[in-house]
Amino acid sequence: MVKYILKRIGAMLLTLFLIMTLSFWIIRLMPMSIFENPATPPDIQKLLMAEMHLDKPLFVQYLYFIKGVVTEAEFGTSVQIRPGMDVFEILASRIPPTVLLNIMSLLISIPLGIVFGTIAALKRNKATDNIISFLIVICISVPSFVFASVLQYVFTFKIPIFPTLYDTQAATFAGTMHSLLLPIIALALGPMATIARYLRGELIETLSSEYLLLARTKGLTRTQATVRHAFRNSLVPIANTIIPLITGIMGGSLVIEKMFAVPGMGGLLIDSIMAGDHFLTVSLLIFYSTISLITILIVDISYGIIDPRIRVGGGK
Amino acid sequence: MMIDKNKGLPEEILNLPESSFEMVQTDEIKDEKFKTKPIGFFKDALLRLQHSKISIISFWIILSIIILALIVPNITGFTYTEQDLAKRNLPPKIPGLENIGIADGSRVLTNRKKDSLSDTNRYPEGSIIEIVREYESKGVAMVDVKVDAYALAGIEDDVYHWFGTDYLGRDLMTRLFKGVRISLIIAFFSVITNVIIGVIYGSICGYYGGKVDMFLTHFAEVLDGMPYIVITILFMILLGSGMLSIILALCITGWIGTARLIRAQFYRFKGREYVLAARTLGVPDVKLIFRHILPNCIGPLITRAMIAIPGAIFSESFLAYIGLGIKPPEPSIGILLSDGQSVLLQYPYQTLFPAILISVLMIAFNLFSNGLRDALDPTRRGEE
Repeated sequence: MVKYILKRIGAMLLTLFLIMTLSFWIIRLMPMSIFENPATPPDIQKLLMAEMHLDKPLFVQYLYFIKGVVTEAEFGTSVQIRPGMDVFEILASRIPPTVLLNIMSLLISIPLGIVFGTIAALKRNKATDNIISFLIVICISVPSFVFASVLQYVFTFKIPIFPTLYDTQAATFAGTMHSLLLPIIALALGPMATIARYLRGELIETLSSEYLLLARTKGLTRTQATVRHAFRNSLVPIANTIIPLITGIMGGSLVIEKMFAVPGMGGLLIDSIMAGDHFLTVSLLIFYSTISLITILIVDISYGIIDPRIRVGGGK
Repeated sequence: MMIDKNKGLPEEILNLPESSFEMVQTDEIKDEKFKTKPIGFFKDALLRLQHSKISIISFWIILSIIILALIVPNITGFTYTEQDLAKRNLPPKIPGLENIGIADGSRVLTNRKKDSLSDTNRYPEGSIIEIVREYESKGVAMVDVKVDAYALAGIEDDVYHWFGTDYLGRDLMTRLFKGVRISLIIAFFSVITNVIIGVIYGSICGYYGGKVDMFLTHFAEVLDGMPYIVITILFMILLGSGMLSIILALCITGWIGTARLIRAQFYRFKGREYVLAARTLGVPDVKLIFRHILPNCIGPLITRAMIAIPGAIFSESFLAYIGLGIKPPEPSIGILLSDGQSVLLQYPYQTLFPAILISVLMIAFNLFSNGLRDALDPTRRGEE
């Protein structure tokens, strides 16, 4: 198991390094101007450029960049969004809302998806199942930002029970959650439906299997048999769908954060791309990758614990 | 091998005339001929598809949206770039519906001074429909008033913007269907490119196996390990905005799923006897791949491509939202949604129509591809 985990971490670090390299080269090859004010005296410009190693060839800059990141977690300085501020500091303040939003959506969507999927499978081809299946199709198809628009319009404007935008001044955690609830719901609907859909399919297959018939024969009720026997076996394949869900949620949160003015990484990433703040963009992309890779790693490892057969390259 | 005809046979037997032979059995075989035509794979699938009402309805919805996208931008009388600042943010006005109070081009203006209503410069004759609410604020009589936004902007009575106009006075219906056209083109082309790359890559992996397979699969795995959003954003920055860039950016990682599917199918089929027979007869690799093994993958491939289309539409809108979409003034569903989003609370209709359209389109594509999967692969029917 330890060997397996180490192998996964190694693969993750390699991917991360590739992303670092790729983002650096792609973004830094774009034209960029770090001086808003053309009136800055040329010798000061030169000094500043030297300070940031911008006067050297790109490959040398790349080595400096890698060295900075690996040895001192030094990502450079923002030049447009918050001129002069250390990128790492900006990031540190932006990460918590993003992580909160993503994790909460995931935590809400998984149990709800399991509940709805189970109900639909147990009431197969009855009215309840049809209604749930219909809602599942809608939740899967309609993009999260459309949900977000609808929620924002209905629950902050027509029935004003939630704040329109994220409340940065909220004193309590409950206050923060109150203003974060709509974006969380908007993000959670799609993954919830995906889980429900998979679980319904899996459960229906399991419910018609012979060992379940045996369980019924020995006197268990339908619910008992489902919960004790069918449920566990169906949950294993579900774990597989969670990884794409995480990437989906992280992508969706980019847009949703912007819509609800959540001061997270999503809005910052969009702003930095627009403003051409390349140091910031590179580091944001790296952080984005890191967070999603770590989440995937956690799911992957826990999956290996749930079902030892799945371990990638786990040896013989 | 040639048969030596003359060997060991007497002369008179070799020279027998044809007339000396006689049929053993002359009467016809009385088996009844098949009255029906043989049903092939696709016909079978089509028959099954026709039984699924939901698929048929979805198919017609998709088809009508495509037809609307082709026709509507040409017949509205506006172009998608035509700006008129006098007509900014007009609400929807649809002939017929306007008489029953929906989409009649009216809007409620709040917090107006009551005195100003009589000013015909600001409120031209006939522009005020009714006063919704009267109240007093700091000693001034204030009103919320429902006005005909078209009359207020000084537009003739026979001008209709069915879905309203945007912040530059462009007709939203023209832009919406033009946008649907562009979004669909992006979706179709990116999916087709993905399928082609995936098929070739997967075939090579699956057919040759061994070291080639290991190398190629590892490469795909590394690419797949990178967060999809980050890669797409990077390539959009690299390629710049535009339709072609979006198609390419969606192809960077999009083909991996298809390649994996094809590879698995190849592993399943390449060991079959019929493939061995074809190989023994000297059929070249390319023909083996495309003529003998690949047709087995057609079913899952079509299903996969259909499922990928709504995904591509979603990705396009997503890119538009984060400002990496196509170049303005070209519209796409995503551009319209994100433009509408910024004025959601003031002019909700600007979000409403694109939102409804993208939702209907995505639901229809999802339902249709579900039906298609059930039809092409009946063993998996019922699995959602």
